[in-house]
Amino acid sequence: MSRPGFVLEVDDRTPPLLVHEGEGFRLESFPLGSRVVYPPESLPTVADVDEAIREALLHPLDADPLPSQLRAGMRLTIAFDDVSLPLPPMRAPDIRQRIIEAVLTMAAAAGVDDVELIAANALHRRMTEAELRHVVGERVFRSFHPQGLLTNHDAEDRENLLHVGLTEKGEDVEINRRAAESDLLVYVNINLVAMDGGHKSVPVGLASYKSLRHHHNVRTMLASHSFMDHERSHLHHSAWRMGRLLAEHLNIFQIETTLDNNVFGAGYGFLQKPEWEWSLRDQGSMLAMRRGLAVAPPRLKHRRFHDLRSAYGLTGINAGRVDAVHERTIAAVHRQQLVEVQGQSDVLVMGVPYLGPYNVDSTMNPILATCMGLGYYFNSYRGQPVVRRGGAVILYHPLAPQFNQLHHPSYVDFYEEILSETTDPLVIEEKYEKQFATDPWYIHLYRTSHAYHGVHPFYMWYWAAHAMDHVDDVIWVGADRRAARRLGFRAATTLADALEMASATVGSAPSITYLHNPPHLIADVR
Amino acid sequence: MSWVRDGVVDVRQVARGWRWGRRSLVPRSAEQFVSPTRPTVFPTGWSRKPAGRVVREVVQKGGLEPLFRSQVRTRVEGLDVLTGLEGPVIFVANHASHLDTPLILLSLPEPWRRRTAVAAAADYFFDTWWRAVGSAVAFNAFPIDRRGGAMATTPGEVLDEGWSLVIYPEGTRTHDGWLGRFQMGAAFLAVRHGVPVVPVAHRGTFAAMPRGQRWPGPGRRQLTLRFGPALRPTEGDTPRTFAPRVRDAVATLMDEEQSTWWDARRRAVAETTPDPVGPPVAAWRRVWEQSAPLEVDADTRVRAWRR
Repeated sequence: MSRPGFVLEVDDRTPPLLVHEGEGFRLESFPLGSRVVYPPESLPTVADVDEAIREALLHPLDADPLPSQLRAGMRLTIAFDDVSLPLPPMRAPDIRQRIIEAVLTMAAAAGVDDVELIAANALHRRMTEAELRHVVGERVFRSFHPQGLLTNHDAEDRENLLHVGLTEKGEDVEINRRAAESDLLVYVNINLVAMDGGHKSVPVGLASYKSLRHHHNVRTMLASHSFMDHERSHLHHSAWRMGRLLAEHLNIFQIETTLDNNVFGAGYGFLQKPEWEWSLRDQGSMLAMRRGLAVAPPRLKHRRFHDLRSAYGLTGINAGRVDAVHERTIAAVHRQQLVEVQGQSDVLVMGVPYLGPYNVDSTMNPILATCMGLGYYFNSYRGQPVVRRGGAVILYHPLAPQFNQLHHPSYVDFYEEILSETTDPLVIEEKYEKQFATDPWYIHLYRTSHAYHGVHPFYMWYWAAHAMDHVDDVIWVGADRRAARRLGFRAATTLADALEMASATVGSAPSITYLHNPPHLIADVR
Repeated sequence: MSWVRDGVVDVRQVARGWRWGRRSLVPRSAEQFVSPTRPTVFPTGWSRKPAGRVVREVVQKGGLEPLFRSQVRTRVEGLDVLTGLEGPVIFVANHASHLDTPLILLSLPEPWRRRTAVAAAADYFFDTWWRAVGSAVAFNAFPIDRRGGAMATTPGEVLDEGWSLVIYPEGTRTHDGWLGRFQMGAAFLAVRHGVPVVPVAHRGTFAAMPRGQRWPGPGRRQLTLRFGPALRPTEGDTPRTFAPRVRDAVATLMDEEQSTWWDARRRAVAETTPDPVGPPVAAWRRVWEQSAPLEVDADTRVRAWRR
């Protein structure tokens, strides 16, 4: 029996609480009366995964069984979520591998010859061969990659994009030509958080900049409350319009999976246990890890975290028509991640961990840290934000101004040239987005190397726009002061200092809520 | 150097936060989310074997008793009720402090003390191996599951082996010094195994060392202990009918402790024994009344040199 998430009220019995801060963590003593939101424990997982996959493919929702849709001579394309999911990467075999193998087995039995696999990476960096092999498995990789039939989506390959049409609101729908011209497009998703999946899979994952700009913009993000709630997210409304248009032209067979909360594996168990339940062994592991990290060279520290593979369990799999499938998927995600929180608070505290969707095997630079804290974590709510309008957000991260030149070249220029001018998302969008989005050098790096698209750092900044608009103060604990200033925020050494600094905004005795994630949670704020 | 210094700071923070050497606590708002864990089945049969008994004799007489007497004063009344009784019996007492068990055990006549075991909460005294071994050796404790789960040894088996038992029917120490609700375990055992119950009442342990205190207060506080006449379940008694008699006997003893045997007897007959649950007044007043130290008995020893 897994325990539900709950809200702790810090009292004199509460031990110091663990707070993530990049490639490390600290123990923090919160003021008495602070609220701490703990995620639910892992739900029971599917015992026979292969049977569950088979069952989903043979009995899809609002769609014909997959085998009956497969025939000799057809064009079949299998698209799948890219390296940004799940986080941390899943221990082999990845669930996508098992699903793709099941689909291909049925396709082979039906005599389908024309099959291609595409990583739906949109404007993300291309996946490396090793990453592709990890996701699809060695057997699939060996069968398709050498022939060029297992590829990354290229959002700048004009020849291989197809403009399908305009939505009723005039939004361009342009996606991968191979996918758009297939007789059947099977999409394999991992729905790690509530914003994933549904019509965000194909219309976003396989789209071009021309299509993405309609929802990846400041106006949309400011109106999405939150983007983790697809019914109240303008980003999702736009994607849903595009999805409906696509459904008129294309046969999409959506396969969505949900995972449990087993984020940290053996040796890291204390990271997902309530602190007061730490055994002596957990306390020893934590101390050893903290002391080890304190002397470890940066490269070793980086490897220690980024080599972590999660032993996620499958909590559900649904296949069929996108809307019907996603309804069930979201229900499963909510079962796993939703925590009821009564009322807003003056201050929201969050620890930004070492990993986000855009720095897998890479560096979490200050822009990505902002996206992770003020974007993903801030928006992990349903109903209303955890912090009141005009409140303060306190985040933990070193904000070291270090950038991965291979993955994030445009981030360097965004940080150095644009953020030094202004941090206002609207101004940035208006003045600079197009220049970066169409820069030939960034496009070249995106297409031929492993760089994120030139416009990507803009999207990261937009992701945080709702939070920046909502709160009056953002303070980073343990951060590089110059970097924090460059981002338009302030830095503090300790929580006490941060609260002191925030007192001008929220008073000297504010109500405080700390979101204790990862593992993932969604605060259902009533 | 700073690495070592920071390491020391970390260790101190963890030691303080997780109460090393003390029982860990669950934040109040998280108590309802604590998983119901099945307590470890901890065998204690070895501690009632001859070797265990020898070790316990050394521990109790060589360590526990001198230490106990150095910290508190005791006055014991009513031991004559044991005269003519043959074990095993069940000593049923109110429970106010960790001092209760040594007070009762060390007050018993030697033959009784050596043949008495104590039922102790498995989730508290047997949650770690060292606490379990300590409880079994020092107090001849055996675990009972307060939630009704299965244990390695049941109280009935210990009774059947000829051991008398000390049982606290309240199940836990009082929070305010007054008597709590009696559970029926002791009455059930008495009826089931046909053994007499000896009611026991004590005063002063709450004032000397209440919940949350790890050592008796300074100044050798006065404790009193009173044994009452044995109660035997009669033909047709059930735990439900016998349990109130046991509770009333303890209540009468508590009344006697504060008045006289004669007054307490008269009130018992008239069914006007003061309710040991205490008055319905503010919590602080209940604690206040019970935490007043008892008056120390006058020193009646004959001294060679009178001052």
